Amino acid sequence: MSIENRLIENKFSENRISEFHAPTRQTRATAPIVPAGSVTGRSLTIVVSIMCFLGCLTAGAVYLINQSAAAWFADIASEVTVQIKPIDNTDIEKRMTHVALYLAKQPGIKSVRPLSERDSTSLLEPWLGQNEAISLLPVPRLIALQIDRKAPPDLKVLTRNIENSFQGVTLDDHRYWQAQIRTVTRSLALSGIAVLILMGAATTAIIVSATKSALASNREIVEVLHFVGATDKFIAREFEKHFLALGIRAGLMGALFATVIFMLLPAIIRLIGGNAVTAAEIRRLIGTASLDPPGYILLAIVVIVIAALCMITSRYGVFRILHNRH
Amino acid sequence: MIRMENVGLQYGHGPEVLKNISMHIKPGSFHFLTGPSGAGKTTLLRLLFLSLQPTNGNVHLFGQNATNVTPSRRAQLRRRIGIVFQDFRLLDHLTTWENVALPLRVIGKRVSNYKEDVTDLLQWVGLGDRMYGFPPVLSGGEKQRAAIARAVIGKPELLLADEPTGNVDPQMARRLLRLFIELNRLGTSVVIATHDHQLMKQFKAPRLELHDGTIEIIG
Repeated sequence: MSIENRLIENKFSENRISEFHAPTRQTRATAPIVPAGSVTGRSLTIVVSIMCFLGCLTAGAVYLINQSAAAWFADIASEVTVQIKPIDNTDIEKRMTHVALYLAKQPGIKSVRPLSERDSTSLLEPWLGQNEAISLLPVPRLIALQIDRKAPPDLKVLTRNIENSFQGVTLDDHRYWQAQIRTVTRSLALSGIAVLILMGAATTAIIVSATKSALASNREIVEVLHFVGATDKFIAREFEKHFLALGIRAGLMGALFATVIFMLLPAIIRLIGGNAVTAAEIRRLIGTASLDPPGYILLAIVVIVIAALCMITSRYGVFRILHNRH
Repeated sequence: MIRMENVGLQYGHGPEVLKNISMHIKPGSFHFLTGPSGAGKTTLLRLLFLSLQPTNGNVHLFGQNATNVTPSRRAQLRRRIGIVFQDFRLLDHLTTWENVALPLRVIGKRVSNYKEDVTDLLQWVGLGDRMYGFPPVLSGGEKQRAAIARAVIGKPELLLADEPTGNVDPQMARRLLRLFIELNRLGTSVVIATHDHQLMKQFKAPRLELHDGTIEIIG
């Protein structure tokens, strides 16, 4: 049957057997209408990768600090300290014993640990050094209380009772330090979010510029697509595919480099941390400095956000440019 | 099918290319559009294809006013029109097969549903052995045929062709004309802009003759 007859009989129907020899080569059914190379070049991939790398580092660092802060917070919140000031002509050891026995009977207290004189003075060593003179100072004695976090005592009542029952005895519930930690961690988290927003804005600006260039260099393709009946939505989707692929590719590259950094971070800290004491201080400050699984999920979220940003920005960029052209 | 009411067009502040044109092309009709070079044939086709807006008057397509339509409405109307450009407008990075399949891909058809149609049409226009070649390696005549195949693959209601036989030999020109005639018999309205008097002699159809921006219907 000739093609004319087919036209006459309207036989350009689907799923019919052709008497023509079908080509042996596989057709490239999914060949991109807009060539990838004309939309997303290597330099754009590198720039977005760097943005994602920095984004992952920021997100990971904020996460590590928050994790450490949460650990400090948990430690501080589950412990209170009773301070017994030395009073002339009184036996401080006897007072310590009385206070400890009183505290042990109070509800909501899991354990009572009186610190020895040596323990108390050693707390001053980081500031005063190992000095014989410390033993001559009227250093207050301390009792550490572990609180039952499931059924905590009413600290206001406990403070009032202790202060009424014993002279020169005060209770420190570390509220000041809790507030300080909260302020510091919130500030760091907000700074991290601000940095992430700035990076997102920079990535958006880069993608907007890249979208303009891509549309300009593919102007002829866009015209032909309009001529064959493509809607702006279809055209935007063709560009969007490339930007999404760029976002995923560049995002994964950035996240991979950030992961390597986080894996090497404990070793780096050991290398730059100097002696064991400094390393221990750093560890106390930021924990082990290695990310746990939720931390790596956070990096994956950064990749998803970067990829989505690339896709959405290019989509709206194409729409806006085409709308202005109409 | 096409109704033009007092249509005028000028580019910027230049002279009027088309002046006060009024005409009616009925569904299923066949017209040749002729006239000397620079008479405005391509401009008239571009108006009908909605890639230009008239300065004055209205263009009605398929019973609707097609002047100042929204981009999405314009895309819908263009899906009902096949166009063959004088400069082919093939995409160099796509194979001939992919170029011809483009209008079907754009409307979201599945490849399995049009694969054979595209292949058959390419075989028929004599590009069976060139279907996986890229436009830069095709001759002018081959590009012409690929452009025609792309215009007719979607079985348009209106076919506009700007010098469709300008780059092919007389035998292929006759063959392509036969394709246009068959499409017309199926109900497609055809408007062919041409200088080729031999082509016009082969098929008796009314002529739209453009002179100095005005139109005269002959036959």
